[in-house]
Amino acid sequence: MFERFTKDARAVVEGAWGYAEQGGAGTVDAEHLLLALLDREGSRGSFALAVLGLAERREVVRDALREARRRAGITRAEADALAGLGIDVAQIVARVEEVHGVGAMSGDRGDRRWWGGRRPNFGRAAKDVLERALRVALARRDRHIGDEHLLLAFTVLPGVAGEVLADHGVTFEAVTRVCPPVRPARG
Amino acid sequence: MSEATDLAERAGDRDPRIGLRAVAALRRLLEQLEAVQVRSARNQGWSWQEIAAELGVSRQAVHKKYGRH
Repeated sequence: MFERFTKDARAVVEGAWGYAEQGGAGTVDAEHLLLALLDREGSRGSFALAVLGLAERREVVRDALREARRRAGITRAEADALAGLGIDVAQIVARVEEVHGVGAMSGDRGDRRWWGGRRPNFGRAAKDVLERALRVALARRDRHIGDEHLLLAFTVLPGVAGEVLADHGVTFEAVTRVCPPVRPARG
Repeated sequence: MSEATDLAERAGDRDPRIGLRAVAALRRLLEQLEAVQVRSARNQGWSWQEIAAELGVSRQAVHKKYGRH
């Protein structure tokens, strides 16, 4: 499937690896892909984000992703579902951080030795984003898979990335509106 | 935002989606908690055997999951 990825989409995948390694994460997560996507410039995805007013709010989005990561990647919707069982995610994270330090629940190790220094693998959520991007591109009859398809994939998958994007008005419909399918001429 | 509020309101009812979502989230929370505790034990010099015994799993299972490659 990678051969149909545009240069921009490949750059997002590479960038995600960079974020995962830099943070000492054991796996590349969907949030790493979104962080890398936020760095893009001059791509279809970054154009869509700019039109939707996210260009100047990138730092706010990055902060929201970091905060969610500190909460073990639990979304607000999930935290509420857990609260229904009497489980207070914020309190658990606070207790663990008291003993093991800030960010202990983030999955970021900091020291590479813990993971044997190997390159992090793509986690299931990150693979889901890539697969969904492919399906979104097929459904739009776009012949390439670009970073705009990655962006669309985030908006339809459950998880922190989609929730943070939705908080800023970046939904499937909004992205589709500013970045409609490319319809190649027939014949 | 509205989804979160909606979920909170329905947490007490029998919508399986809420229950299943809670279980999935709990599993991820558990995974992170386990990683934190295993790492802490290793830093304090515990053997994989000792960690496995406390977790109630085989030594191989815990080593495969957290051991260095």
